[in-house]
Formats: sequence, C-alpha cells, structure tokens
Amino acid sequence: MLKYLMARNEDIPPGSSAVYWGFSAIVWFVIGTGLGAFNAAKLAFPDFVTGLEFLSFGHMRQVHVMAVIFGWISMAFGMAMMYITPALGNTKLWSEKLGLWNAFLWNVGLSLGLTVLWWGMNSGREYSDFPWFIDLYILCFMCIPLGINVWMTIIHRKTQGIYTTNWFFAAGTFMISIVLIVGNLPEYFHLTGLTEAYLTWWNAHNILGLWITPVAAAIAYYTIPKVTGNPLYSHRIGHLHFWSVVVFYSTPAAHHLMSAPLPEWLKSFASVEGVLILVPAIAFVSNILMTMQGKWNMFVENLEIRFTVTGCLMAIPLNMQGGFQQTRAINWYIHGTGWIVAHAHLALLGFSTFLEVAAVYLGMQTIMKRKLWSLTLGNIHFWFLLIGFTTYWVSMTIAGLIQGAGKIYEVPYIDVVIAEHPYMIARWLGGSLVFTGNCFWLFNMWMTARAGTVIPQGRMPHELAYER
Amino acid sequence: MSWKMDAPMVTLSDDATTLKNEALWEKEDLGGLTEDNNPIPKPVIWLVVLTVITAFLVTAPLWGQRPTAALYQSYVDSMDKPEVMAAKDDEDAMKMIVAMNKGTSNDALLERHPLTMDDLRMIKDQVKALEAKGVDMKDYTVVGNHVVIANFEGNYRPDGTRIRQQPWWDKGYTIDLFYLSYFFLAVFLIVKRLPPTTWQPRHGHGSH
Amino acid sequence: MNFREYKIGSRFFALALGGSMTITLFMPSLDIGSVSATEIAMDKQLWAGHESGFSLEDPLLLGWHKPYKVLLKADPKTGQPMDPTYAYVYEKGTPFPGGILHPDNLGPAAKKLSIDKGHILEANKNAGAVFMVKSEDQKQYYIENATATLGWTPEGVLKTAGDENTQHAAAGKSLFVREGCWWCHTLLPEQTQDWQVFGAPPMLGDFNGESPTAFGSDRKAPDILHVASRNASKEWMMLHFFNPRLVQPHSIMPRFDYLWGPVDASGKKIDFAKWRAEYNEYREGKRITPPEVPMYASNSEIRNLIDFVMNLK
Repeated sequence: MLKYLMARNEDIPPGSSAVYWGFSAIVWFVIGTGLGAFNAAKLAFPDFVTGLEFLSFGHMRQVHVMAVIFGWISMAFGMAMMYITPALGNTKLWSEKLGLWNAFLWNVGLSLGLTVLWWGMNSGREYSDFPWFIDLYILCFMCIPLGINVWMTIIHRKTQGIYTTNWFFAAGTFMISIVLIVGNLPEYFHLTGLTEAYLTWWNAHNILGLWITPVAAAIAYYTIPKVTGNPLYSHRIGHLHFWSVVVFYSTPAAHHLMSAPLPEWLKSFASVEGVLILVPAIAFVSNILMTMQGKWNMFVENLEIRFTVTGCLMAIPLNMQGGFQQTRAINWYIHGTGWIVAHAHLALLGFSTFLEVAAVYLGMQTIMKRKLWSLTLGNIHFWFLLIGFTTYWVSMTIAGLIQGAGKIYEVPYIDVVIAEHPYMIARWLGGSLVFTGNCFWLFNMWMTARAGTVIPQGRMPHELAYER
Repeated sequence: MSWKMDAPMVTLSDDATTLKNEALWEKEDLGGLTEDNNPIPKPVIWLVVLTVITAFLVTAPLWGQRPTAALYQSYVDSMDKPEVMAAKDDEDAMKMIVAMNKGTSNDALLERHPLTMDDLRMIKDQVKALEAKGVDMKDYTVVGNHVVIANFEGNYRPDGTRIRQQPWWDKGYTIDLFYLSYFFLAVFLIVKRLPPTTWQPRHGHGSH
Repeated sequence: MNFREYKIGSRFFALALGGSMTITLFMPSLDIGSVSATEIAMDKQLWAGHESGFSLEDPLLLGWHKPYKVLLKADPKTGQPMDPTYAYVYEKGTPFPGGILHPDNLGPAAKKLSIDKGHILEANKNAGAVFMVKSEDQKQYYIENATATLGWTPEGVLKTAGDENTQHAAAGKSLFVREGCWWCHTLLPEQTQDWQVFGAPPMLGDFNGESPTAFGSDRKAPDILHVASRNASKEWMMLHFFNPRLVQPHSIMPRFDYLWGPVDASGKKIDFAKWRAEYNEYREGKRITPPEVPMYASNSEIRNLIDFVMNLK
C-alpha cells in the first residue's frame, strides 16, 4: 500500500485506500482489545504485573479507550466510507491518494498520540485525553481530510439522489469536525471550571452521538440491502432517523453531569432529550428489520448479515439503557458504576462493532475480489465476539448494580470491591475471548488477501460458496 | 412549488412536483441500492409518541434526591415533646418521632431518607436558626450534618432571591416543548413532500 | 446532469445543529458565566495552579512550574510570630491560575475586591507572587496578592515556612492526572445519601478557575473529593500508596511504589526487588510481618501526591 503514497492518483487502483484503512482498523482492533483484556486482568488481579509505571492501569486505561475509538471504530468507518460512498454514487472515490495519505497520517498520528498518552501526557479530560496538539492533529490531518474525500465524492456522484447512508457519512464527518473544534476549546483557550467540565462531556457525548452511532447505523443501511438484495424498507423512516439523530442526539450532554452543579433547566432539558434518543433508535431498528423481510434465512446463513442484524438487535437494549439511565431517578442509582462501563461496551463493542465488522468483511472481500478464506474462522470470530461481549456485559451490569446498591445503602466500599471480584474475573475472561477472536480475524483476513478464492467480475462475495 | 393541501395527510406536493419526484426516483440507481416509498408504519409512530410522553413523565423530578430541611422540620419540633424526652433510649425516641409524624404527604420521602437521633441533634440548631430567619425551608438541603442552601438555580422571587428547589417544571421543559414541536413539524413537512405512498418506484426494472 | 442540490436539506441541517448548539452551549454559558467563585474555588485554584493536565510549562506532567501551598506561622518580612495562615507561592515563571489571569472568573463581587483590595492585577509572572485568600466579613472572599500588599517575596515565604510546612499539592494534582488515579477515584460525589461515606457534593462556584476538573466517571473505588476529611494520616497514605494491600487486604488498587524514586528519605537506595520478595514471603505466610515501607524522600513524587491528597478536604 505504501508504494502508492507517492504514485499519481490515476495510477492507484480503485479500492486501495479502503484495503489500507481496513487492515489498519483490524490491527488496531487487535491492539485495542488486547490492551482491554490486559487492563481487565489488572482489575481482577491487582498484582498481575506490578512495579512498572508504564504497565500500570492508570497509564493504560485511556490508551485502550482511544485505540478502540480512534483506531478500530473510526478507521473501520474510514474503510466503509472509502468504498461505500463511491459505490452509492456510481462513481470512483474522489481521491484514492488522499484516502491513502489520510489512512497513513491517521496511523502515524494515532501511534504518536497513544505513545504520549501512555507516557502520561494527559489533558485530564475524559474522552479527550490527548494533549491539545494531538487533538489539533486529529482534527486537521485525520477527520477533515476524511470528510473532504467523502464530501467531494458525493458532490461528484453520478446519481441524482443521495442514498441514506451517504447523508449520514457526509453529516457524520462534518459533525465530528465541529465537535472536535468546540469540544476541545477548553484545551485550546484554557477554559476552566464548570465550563471545562461541561465541554468535556459535551465532547464525549457527541463523539458517541454524532459520529459513532449514526455512522455505524449508516453502514447497516448499506450492508443489509446490498447483501439481501431487498430495497431499504422506507425512505421516510430514513428521514425520521437522520433528523432525529441531528436534533436529539446532539443535545443531552448535560446528562453525564447530573450531580454537578450545572443549571437545573439544562439538566431537565437534557434528560428529556436523552429519552428521545429512542426516536432514532426506533427508526433505525424498524427500518433494518423490515428490510430483512423474506430474507431471514440469511441471518443464519450469511456471516455479514448475521453480524449486522446482531448489532442492530443490540441497539434495542443499548438505547433502552441509554434513554432511561440518564434520568434523575435512575442516574442517582447507577451513575459512576460498572453499569455505565457495561453500557459503554454495549455501544462500542456490541452495537457499533458488530455493524463495522460486517462492513469490513464485506468490503474487504468485494474490493480484493477474494472470497473469505475460512468460514469456520469467521464463525469462530462471530461467536467469540458475541460470547465474550455478553460475558463482559452481563458481569459488568451485575457489578454495577452491586456498586449502586452499595452506594445507596452506604455499604463500606471495600465490601463492594470484594463482592465485585468474581465479576471482574468474568470481565477479564470475556475481554480475552474478544481479543482471541480478533486475532483469528486478522489471520483470516490476511489469508483471504493471499489465498482467498478469486471472485469473478460482476459477482458478489456471498454468491460464491466457501471453500473452507 | 405550491403545496396541495386538500388531502394533506397523503401529500403536500402538487401534481407537477409529485410527477417530477416520481421521475427522479425511477431514474435513481444509488449504486445498486434502492429505497422503497413505504409509509412510516403506524406502530413506529405510536412508539415515537409513547417515547415523547414517557420522556416528560420519567424525567419530571418526581424523585427529589437530597432531603430538604423542610422534610425534617416536624422531626426537629417533635424532639422537644415531653414523651420523646422521656424515651428510654435514642432508638425508642426516634421510633416515637417517626410515628408522630406519619400521615403527611412527606411519608414516602421520610421513609427514603431515614435519620437517627444523633443526626437530628446535629441539624437541630441549624434548622431552628433557619426557621427563625423565616426562609423557605425547601430551599435548603440536609447534607450530612450540614443544612446548606440547595444546589438548584430556579427563578427569581419578587424579593430578588432565587428559588433553590428542584422544579417540577422549568425553562428546560419549556424549551423541550418548542424544540420537539419544531422537529416534528419539520419531519412532517419533509416526509409529506415525498411522492404519495400509494406509488412505488420500479427499481431498475423500468425503461431507463 | 441536472443534480438535486439538497438546498432545503442543507439549510435544515444547519438550523438543526445550530439550534442544538445554541440551546446546549450558548444558553448555559450565560448561566455558568454568572457564577461567583466560592472560598473553596479560590483555595483550590491557587494551590492547583494554572493547569494540572498537559501544558507547555509541564509537558510530561512532572510537576514543573507549579505553585506551593505553605502554612506560615511567622511574618516572612519581620520574622514576628503570627496566626497560622495559608499562602500560595508562585515562584518566578510559574503561570498564574484562571482567576488571576481572568478575574471575571471570580464573579463580580470577588473580582472587584480582588482587584481593589487584593491588587491581583499587579501580580507579575516574571517576578513571581504570593497569594492569600482573604475575607473581611467571612462571607465574601477575595484573593490578595501579598507581594503587592505586604511585600512578601516567594523566596522569603518559602524560607520562612520551611519544607515541613510546604505542600506540593499542585505537582501532586498533575500526578493524579498522569497516573490515572481519576480512572477509579472520582472527584464528584453523587447527589444522594452517600455523603455519609464520600462527603457532600460540590456546590455552585466550587470549581471556578480549576483546570482540569477531572471529575472521572468510572468509579471502581471511593470518591476522594473529601478524602482528607475522612483520613488525614500521612503514614496510612504512605503505606497505602506503596502497597495498598498492606493496609487493605482486599484492595484492587495498583501499587505506586515506583513513585518513591531510587532513594528513600535518608538517601539510601531502595531495594525494590528485595522488598517484593520479602512481601511475597509474608503473603505466603513465611514471615510474620511485612517488610518495612521506606520513608519517602522530600523531593520524591509520592510526597507531591500525598500533599495533594491531604488537600482534598
């Protein structure tokens, strides 16, 4: 891939950048989940690796979070955008060269960012932990170039309309840029106090709400109709989904700080809007499930559909939690507990990851014109992810409820720690399963590139039989 | 562009616009993907309506979080009653105080925020001092052994002080009402500008 | 080709996102901007300094260019004994906190007093300054620039106070951020009954000028906003940081023995390998007592961290 960085744009084969993005994403996924499993082991067994500053939990926790959000999820998004955006416009990517450079700079910047973060150069602001020069780099050399490629491809499309997926891609890349500018104002201009705290959580909320959630859903809007061959059930529901994401998901940031002295009216406003994130969720889930009509056999038979529909079904508990846990009545109980950690993993490792994994599987096979090397490894990957994630989610939800009860009933904290111990072990086992599954995936994808069955011109990957 | 308003629940577009939209949809290929012109299913609409109602109901602060000083005013008063003073120990005295103050609208809240005699002794003087000052006791919360002004910032009273109570309705909810109205109006207009749902595009099977 | 331009859609999008940001960012900023700093906020920003996270003055979060909080028992100019008073020492080149740089952060009343009586605008980063939190009626607090009003110099104050009365709390807060303490210990107790365990939730105006607030959200350990009110024993803290399981067998906190640095208080090299081996013997029941925890050197990082924790009241 690197040899094309200096090539002329016309000489770069279409799809090169998508493959580069895709493999980068998988590698980051392996790294990110590996770090996660390592951190989980330290929570279960505090003396697991000890005495070394750079292997201590406090130095590694944020590296796991940032590697997963900006490495795995965002690069998988980049991969999806590099091949889905032009496909939906019946055109080529605006610039393969920009795409390749973008992925290259993304990897360089993220490696640098994670290194300094690991070193301890932390801004002290959750989900915006990078020092401000890295934040600026992420904005200027990672997000905006990605946006430019997407926007220009859509402008140069050869269809009259823009398909739903591309609304989300265009809006998502635009919104993440705005969020990273506004959300990091405290670091750029040294804003302090409650302003800093609120903008920190405005930023954190909107990275999830205006980037990860809508773009992940947009991918499903492509995968399901493309693989099943069914038209998207309703353009109208697509409208409801898109507009409610922009209008409702961008507003409830204050619900992360229900116990901080923010203005009461803002909390009231935010918690009503917080429940209303169920509106885009209802629209998304109903649209996808209705599109599946008549093709439910593929949920069992087809790997990409199985991943997508599983992710889509996980949007139901995800949004039920997300909508209600932030209200004053429930937040009181579960704020700051493992419940929230479980919820965050349901969003990123459950819902969103399953949709992206499907897009990466589908895209890599389509672009490389190679059938997936081993279905068995693909299935193992699916079940390791699902069982690993479920173990994690269930154990952390229970741990969170224990913590909540301990908080409300004023149980000495150490008793809560003791009660949580078995669930911490389960969390580590779940995380390790996810990590192992991803190692299989990387191997499977590598073998697909090298030895996968060639897909003839004009055929889709799922029309061919697996050989292994 | 003019809107056809005689059958507004079907479409807001005039016939020319509808024909133009239909022609557009027929031609669109979208990289092999297509979208059906199905209506938003009724259950989805009902779920959205239910969500809006639930959102207001569930977020209204029915469950005040920290106990206000007003809640314990009657407890503090009861401490000086002779039968309480005569109680054999603190536990007994507390039981008596709780029994004495049953039957008010505060029952549920008091049950959620139980106290001991030691707690009461620590806040007694502070509550009395506030009573003497003649302030609204609901503006103060009991945090540990402190009775402090509550963390809420409500509207201004005529005398310039601020209401410090968790409101059942405030500016936030009013903004929500307007915000929601604009949203649903906008989505309604957008959706009704599409061709009528009775018409389905012939995806790719047409003559283009 | 006659493309659809999505003019209506783009305008609706701008309206939707702009409207959302007006309500959730612009409108609250009016409320938040009108909050006056409390005494707690003045104390906190003065001992924590300009920035505890990454900054150009302290890029590796090693505690460079940080202020000191000192307890003065004698007047640094005359040497006469006086009532114990806290002062905040900003040596030459140490950046000032938010409230000094932007007095609007303090709220109108405190701003006026701090400028008129406290002379904070005369503080000069290149010369250094000493600050105090003052109040005449015990209601309205303000910041006083003692360098301008009393002629106290940073060097003089540090010398008068001596090392035992100097707290490296600001450098400690950088460690709190660098070592990721806030991933488990939050600084934001709930608005619930858990005050009996964690203490009172923060009040309006308690944060003005502080950066970062580092509330944390993922609590796996007690909230420590008021930890020094519950436990003010430096010895306990020392044991707990070296190996939390010495004082709390079920703790899942990591050991922070590496913050001791290479030598102990007497300048002797600390043999960590030997300590760990002996501790393992103790854990396996081969020793009756755990090995002695070395006393930390006064310029070690753990001293800064303990000074920080002692300021969380």
